[in-house]
Amino acid sequence: MSNSTKLDIQNLNAWFCEKHALKNVNVKIPDKEVVAVIGPSGCGKSTFVRCINRMHELIPGAKASGKALLDGVDVYGGMDVMDVRRKIGMVFQKPNPFPNMSVADNVVAGLKLVGTHSKKELAEIAEERLKSVGLWEEIKDELKKSGASLSGGQQQRLCIARALAMNPEVILMDEPTSALDPASTAKLEELVKKLKNEISVVIITHNVSQAARISDMTAFFYLGELVEFDETRNIFEHPKNPLTERYITGRFG
Amino acid sequence: MDILSRRGRERLIKYICLLLTVLAVVPLLWIIGEVVYNGVSAINLEFLTALPAPFGESGGGIGNAILGTLIINAMASLFGIPVGILTGMYLSEYDRTSRLGSAVRTVIESLSGVPSIIFGIFAYSLIVLTVRHYTAIAAAFALGLMMIPLIAKATEESMKIVSNDIREAAIALGVPKWVRTTKIVFSIAKGGILTGCLLAFARISGETAPLLFTSLFSFYWPIGIDQPMASLQVLIYNYAMSGFQNWVIKAWGASLLLVIIVVSINVIVRRFAKPKYKAGV
Repeated sequence: MSNSTKLDIQNLNAWFCEKHALKNVNVKIPDKEVVAVIGPSGCGKSTFVRCINRMHELIPGAKASGKALLDGVDVYGGMDVMDVRRKIGMVFQKPNPFPNMSVADNVVAGLKLVGTHSKKELAEIAEERLKSVGLWEEIKDELKKSGASLSGGQQQRLCIARALAMNPEVILMDEPTSALDPASTAKLEELVKKLKNEISVVIITHNVSQAARISDMTAFFYLGELVEFDETRNIFEHPKNPLTERYITGRFG
Repeated sequence: MDILSRRGRERLIKYICLLLTVLAVVPLLWIIGEVVYNGVSAINLEFLTALPAPFGESGGGIGNAILGTLIINAMASLFGIPVGILTGMYLSEYDRTSRLGSAVRTVIESLSGVPSIIFGIFAYSLIVLTVRHYTAIAAAFALGLMMIPLIAKATEESMKIVSNDIREAAIALGVPKWVRTTKIVFSIAKGGILTGCLLAFARISGETAPLLFTSLFSFYWPIGIDQPMASLQVLIYNYAMSGFQNWVIKAWGASLLLVIIVVSINVIVRRFAKPKYKAGV
């Protein structure tokens, strides 16, 4: 099942001041698959994901060491940090569209703010990306409205469209459905499954059954360590580590 | 606690708030009413466009003072608004925690409490004493300095309340910090910043003390920004104290005009800067 490796993370360590938040993590994220990241609160899931697009280091006192090779190029050294974040998109727990921009402008915000695209190109990209997240039919008459006027689930898909508009190679999602209602969650899960036709997806989730439903591979973190990383089927049917088994069966965390 | 007493208390609080609001608004309306009542008879074309008549003669106008106030306020805004906004931006986006940041913050907060006459004396000793004559530049400098703390504080607070989620969204898109600061955070905070600028403008439009030390007054049309210049504030001060009926009426007219200028600039700026989207931060 494993394709070639998209993102090769080697000996990744992260700290918040003195606190060692991530301990020597090694993971190979495959190309065009969905990797779920699970584990109890405070286990380092978010830190792990934020190390990949170098957002961890923005917190005062935080630092990271190790390598994260995107197609063989280290995001810590081989690339400009802005390029890293353009190639590795991110979607957050709380939908965060820009309230000062229209729906259409939100989708192409990244390109509009730093790129040199013409108005026509931007409009085309906006339409294409809204279609790929399944929002186009719902909101094509409301493109001029504020991004913040949509419902929560629509806002979250808008944020995904905004990340996709940068043509990323990997998209990171930090509990993207935890603020959404069940119907919106279902739509978003469908979208995640569809996305892997194009790019790699790393998705943090508190919902173990969501990990089972949508991911190809699952990583289980506990106290800053990567306890187990395997195909999702193996993790859920034959976990090697007793901690993993206890977590996925809901006995702690 | 039965429900009626709770409702009663609810209503009591509401009416207390209403009463206090009325108490606050009545003197304001009174002042405006008084200014309009006494000032409106003074206003005519000659009043708006002519030079002041010599002491003891009737007629004449305050055209030079209107123009002078507009020039001085414009120069002060040209200096105070950019410096104030950039200072606030620095405090909110670039330096929230360091010693320099908190030192700047303390200075800004103390400056906004400094009496205006101090700004006047400062500009007087720095500029007027150096060039050895009264000058409108010194007036604009003093008033601009007064605007900075007000605008910086408003900018800092308005930008600070923009949610960090929004900043993270921009970071994750690979948007450089200066673009994020100017095109996203600043743009979202624009309403609050604009309010701060307008308040600062209104405040300096009423200041007389700094002008007495700097631009002083002139009975002629402004001929250069490095010369003494007439202003509505100083004109009101001089005329109101003169005891000469023609001038006292003109002081009322000038007061009314000052109110009209501040209010209309407020309305015009707000009309042009109407936010595209009403959605919250």
